[in-house]
Amino acid sequence: MADLVDSMLDLMRRLPPTRTEENVTALIGICPEYADDLLGSVDQPLKLRTDRATGREYLACDYNRDGESYRSPWSNEYDPPLDDGTIPTPKLRKLEIAANEAFDTYREMYFEGGASSVYLWDLDDGGFAGVVLLKKTMTPTTAHEPSGSWDSIHVFETAERGRQAHYKLTSTVMLQLVTRKGSDEAEEKGNGNGSKWKHEGEVSLSGSMTRQTEQDWPILDSSSHITNTGRMIEEMEIKMRNLLQEVYFGKTRDIVYDLRSVDDLEKARRQRELQKELVGFIKR
Amino acid sequence: MSIVGMNNAERIEAACSFLLQSPPGEINDVLNDVRNIISDDDSLHEGVLPALKEYNLSQFMTVDVPGTQHQSIISEAARVAATGGGQERFVDPRSKTSFLFDHLSLEASDSEPVEADADSEPFRAALEKSTLTYLSAHFHDGVASIFASKDRTNQYIIQVVANKYNPANYWAGRWRSEYTIDLSENTIHGKVLVNVHYYEQGNVQLSTTHTVSLALPAAVVTSSPAASASKIIALIEDEEGKYQTSLNDTYQEMGEKTFKGLRRALPLTRQKIDWDKVLGYKLGAELSSSKGGMFGNT
Repeated sequence: MADLVDSMLDLMRRLPPTRTEENVTALIGICPEYADDLLGSVDQPLKLRTDRATGREYLACDYNRDGESYRSPWSNEYDPPLDDGTIPTPKLRKLEIAANEAFDTYREMYFEGGASSVYLWDLDDGGFAGVVLLKKTMTPTTAHEPSGSWDSIHVFETAERGRQAHYKLTSTVMLQLVTRKGSDEAEEKGNGNGSKWKHEGEVSLSGSMTRQTEQDWPILDSSSHITNTGRMIEEMEIKMRNLLQEVYFGKTRDIVYDLRSVDDLEKARRQRELQKELVGFIKR
Repeated sequence: MSIVGMNNAERIEAACSFLLQSPPGEINDVLNDVRNIISDDDSLHEGVLPALKEYNLSQFMTVDVPGTQHQSIISEAARVAATGGGQERFVDPRSKTSFLFDHLSLEASDSEPVEADADSEPFRAALEKSTLTYLSAHFHDGVASIFASKDRTNQYIIQVVANKYNPANYWAGRWRSEYTIDLSENTIHGKVLVNVHYYEQGNVQLSTTHTVSLALPAAVVTSSPAASASKIIALIEDEEGKYQTSLNDTYQEMGEKTFKGLRRALPLTRQKIDWDKVLGYKLGAELSSSKGGMFGNT
């Protein structure tokens, strides 16, 4: 029934990104036996939680979930508490602590706010894997100020090969932007006929994009994994930010102009015909 | 996680909700996915028909009108309720015909003539003429239908839809406009809805709503049907043009303010991060002491 999971993923690729959580819940209700497949492969907006021990904010997703509890990267504790919750080996936890500090600096430098979390886990073949999460939300102070949120999910796997390590990185960025407009905004103007339109509305741009890369990097000691994945993730986010900018502000706008033209298409058509006639006239 | 499965009715309800969320031109893809997921064609077919109908009516589905060279819009305004055990029909005021509509195959059949209301037809026809001129001036593949209201005298409904589906390049778009013109109250109430789906290695959707209202100047209403209709369409043309231009401003605002505010292109230093520095001597030293373990290189 891999077919069924494919259909669920295809469906999620089509339905509005603003309703991902609601739709994933509905799909799990229809096929409870596929809950883990679905939760493991559909990226959902990251949830912000507060570490009870340290008071620091951390991000919750499927990777730090055990049952109904989520592990904080700061205290290593599950909330609600678990006696037998899965935690990294002491060595991996040491690296996880350092990675959390490093990506917290990265977050501050690029996001100037928001929250970050890094979770690591051992793989059966001896390597390890991890996820780097970043989230920033902008809440408007007035009704007509734009609001937005950025969620990054970078999942990586690594295997050491002598003095080199091979990394596989899958990055998803979820970006949501909303602007509300109304005519109380002083942009209400006459249109020459003495009549005034009243208008209000909303523009919502939302979605996610996913990209993958595989790279080899040298390793000196375990901390090299942080600098290596750091460079890869930084590079990937720069690329994806450009891509998102192109798709969100370029592509979707072009499609609107493919539907409707501000300029008079009939005039343009007549112009072209006139030009053709003129060219024909000159050729004669 | 504690998960309670849905009963059959809840499954159909969820399927209907998925269908109603379909992006432009992708209702068949969504239906195929839903069929696979529900895997019970018998109860699904019966159960989702009302949702398909709701989708078609609200999304201004277009249909080739039998015996004509044009398309018309399937909507609530076009719907003729079934009477005396007959089937529900849809009217195309332009060709003055009505037909049956299959909400699954999206085809019209059993076309028959309808008689236009003598009182409203002159103004409706004048609005239609002006709207069609406007349509070819500003829409690349637009369809328009103009109705005399079923519910109120002196009320007219203009509907416009333009679709572009480009599955080969993973995008689709839909523009819908609807205006209700009330000549008793001298008002226009309208809405413009734009939906864009871009899904190459992702799922990005633009969704806009824009509701407008205008009190019609007396001079517009008291003119002849042709002059009055052409003035009303000029007002709509002006407003829609302004709206489309204002979308550009909104894009710019979201790009300049929100997008940049969420994540910088580069840190304040205008340089990429020096990861060795970020890791710091203390952290580096601490981790080096675990050398030779699972991350050790020799």
